Amino acid sequence: MNNNRATLEVIAQSVAEAIEKGLADLGLDRDAVEITVLDEGGSGLLGIGSRQARVRISILSGEEPDQSIDSSSSPPDGEKDPTLKLAEEIVSELLEKMNLEAKVEARFGEPSESLPHQPILVDITGNDLSILIGRRAKTLNALQYITRLILGKELGHGVPLSIDVEGYRKRREMQVRQLARRVAEQVADTGRQQSLEPMPPNERRFAHLELQDEPRVYTESEGEDPYRKVVIHPSK
Amino acid sequence: MIDLITYIARSLVEDPTQVQVTHQRRRDSINFQLQVAQEDMGRVIGKNGRVANAIRTLLNVPASGIGKKVNLDIVEPQ
Repeated sequence: MNNNRATLEVIAQSVAEAIEKGLADLGLDRDAVEITVLDEGGSGLLGIGSRQARVRISILSGEEPDQSIDSSSSPPDGEKDPTLKLAEEIVSELLEKMNLEAKVEARFGEPSESLPHQPILVDITGNDLSILIGRRAKTLNALQYITRLILGKELGHGVPLSIDVEGYRKRREMQVRQLARRVAEQVADTGRQQSLEPMPPNERRFAHLELQDEPRVYTESEGEDPYRKVVIHPSK
Repeated sequence: MIDLITYIARSLVEDPTQVQVTHQRRRDSINFQLQVAQEDMGRVIGKNGRVANAIRTLLNVPASGIGKKVNLDIVEPQ
């Protein structure tokens, strides 16, 4: 028995609905999981005291869900989620019309409680794609924005979507975090505030996150986009 | 580039049949005019012109490939 196998708890109006929802979220069939009904729910009297059904879905070994968020592995095209397929189609269409040749692969990111829909991550790989990133990721962000709009319109609701080119965003995150660390050391040593170069909001966020637990400094953003930047102050 | 503008515009508007793109070639630049139904103007312009600016940014990719500047205007239907 595997102790740390993945489980998912789902709440819905009925047990059947909860199971269906859970399986859809995991992208697995009924026979790939073990289902435990935690609460059958109940309609209550005249809706008073009604409870929702709660089930726990445990993934049977050998049928791990796509936890390989960071690997580029994905199920064969035939079983790909329609939303992911649609995202890939839109990005491919845009790239083709921009005369760029590249490989496009969409996958789901980690779900978050603050998001109503599972975030979609689109990876673009190919040669000479720096033009697709642009200065301060301007082009990449434009592509992401337009893709999000088109996908949102097709689906009838907004979806969190992030596009990366050749691991650029991941690399920037590392760079920004390291930079923030280094500058914070200087600020703590000298007692003098320093600002980082202007960055887009998603990158500024990494600087704030990196230093949020650093007691010797505090961070703020100043200025207006696209020149808004993180300022690191010594703690008072 | 006309394909790019047309594809984005048709995907975002309520009335794709009204999407029209015209252009004039200059020596170093190409000017595009995107025309959509009156009710769809906001959808291709966006708040503070954000959608239009994103389209302009994407247009710069194929434009720089052929060494031209591009301009994009969103125009009211006649």
